[in-house]
Amino acid sequence: MDIRTVLKKAIVEELNLEDVLPEDIKDDAPLFGEGLGLDSLDAVELTVLVQRLFGVVMDDVEAAKEAFASINALASYIETRKS
Amino acid sequence: MSARWSSRSVGSRLQHAIFYALIRFAGTTGAYALLAIVVSWYTLRPSVRNRSKAYLGRRFPAAGFWAMLLHTWKLQWTFGQCLVDRAAAGISGGFSFAENFRDRLSFAAEEGRGVILLAGHTGCWQLSPTALAEHAGTRVTVLAHTEDGDVDRHAHEHAGTRPPYETLYSREGVGTSVALLNRLREGELLCIMGDRVEGDAEPAVTVSFFGSPVAMPCAAYRLASASGAPLVFTFAVRTGAMQGTLRIAEVLRIPAGLGKNPENYQPYAQRFASELERFTREYPYQFFNFYDLWG
Repeated sequence: MDIRTVLKKAIVEELNLEDVLPEDIKDDAPLFGEGLGLDSLDAVELTVLVQRLFGVVMDDVEAAKEAFASINALASYIETRKS
Repeated sequence: MSARWSSRSVGSRLQHAIFYALIRFAGTTGAYALLAIVVSWYTLRPSVRNRSKAYLGRRFPAAGFWAMLLHTWKLQWTFGQCLVDRAAAGISGGFSFAENFRDRLSFAAEEGRGVILLAGHTGCWQLSPTALAEHAGTRVTVLAHTEDGDVDRHAHEHAGTRPPYETLYSREGVGTSVALLNRLREGELLCIMGDRVEGDAEPAVTVSFFGSPVAMPCAAYRLASASGAPLVFTFAVRTGAMQGTLRIAEVLRIPAGLGKNPENYQPYAQRFASELERFTREYPYQFFNFYDLWG
């Protein structure tokens, strides 16, 4: 399963997004505010989730903010740090 | 329910400057003397009395008009003393914080995952991060809320120094959340206020406080659930002129995976509200939320 699919499934399940299916999440849609509508506290859970699933620690705040722009941005962040 | 509060002082910038000058040239004794006159003046103003009416009315339900006037004076007087002490701590130093909280927080270093300190606006709360930074043996971060036009100055601003702790601002959203998690991961103490909801967008739950429902923020509990960090209820107490201490009321372990629904955190927020109410039973004039929490 590719990173984007794993992320979408985990986001829906672990952030308890009701009425949202993983396949509904567009790769380039904003995750916070508009788009998926996550809030700042979801960022905490997303950070923990990324570390648990992929072993990637998001310790650079500015890089994390850019990574949280979309599924594509987050997947790219993870791919860069896993290699 | 959305009660409105403001961090802005009742006093003007000039009034604050007069107090700061008095502290500089006459010490806290001179400042307390002027404070007694200022508090008496403010207590006579209905607009100022109304700001503490909701709380004092519940704390002292049997009080008549004159008794309530005295309770209001005492509350304003104690608050004013805390502000004088805070300014004096920065201008001339000498604020003494009893270190009896160190042992109760030592588990933080042992577990290595950071601790969230959830506080109320009580006593000398504004000086407690400095005390923690100086005595707790680990770095301290404060999650703050500020408004444009705030004239109150922190102790370190008077001293012209950087504070011995880091400050993150809630308005910075996602970046703040990631930074908070990183600080906890590094074993730091994180200070968050637990008794005021910041605007309608902040997640909150309804708890019972003095027998009536109020909204209290639940972000700290969610952060504890997501990070695994223990959460400690702390209440600062002014114990005398230029003296204070930190009461550790309870240490909570919030289960992991409670998720996004604020209602999952209601039982923990209720425990905080109950501890805060217990605190006000012992220190009725050291609870400084000057707005109608129940409104």
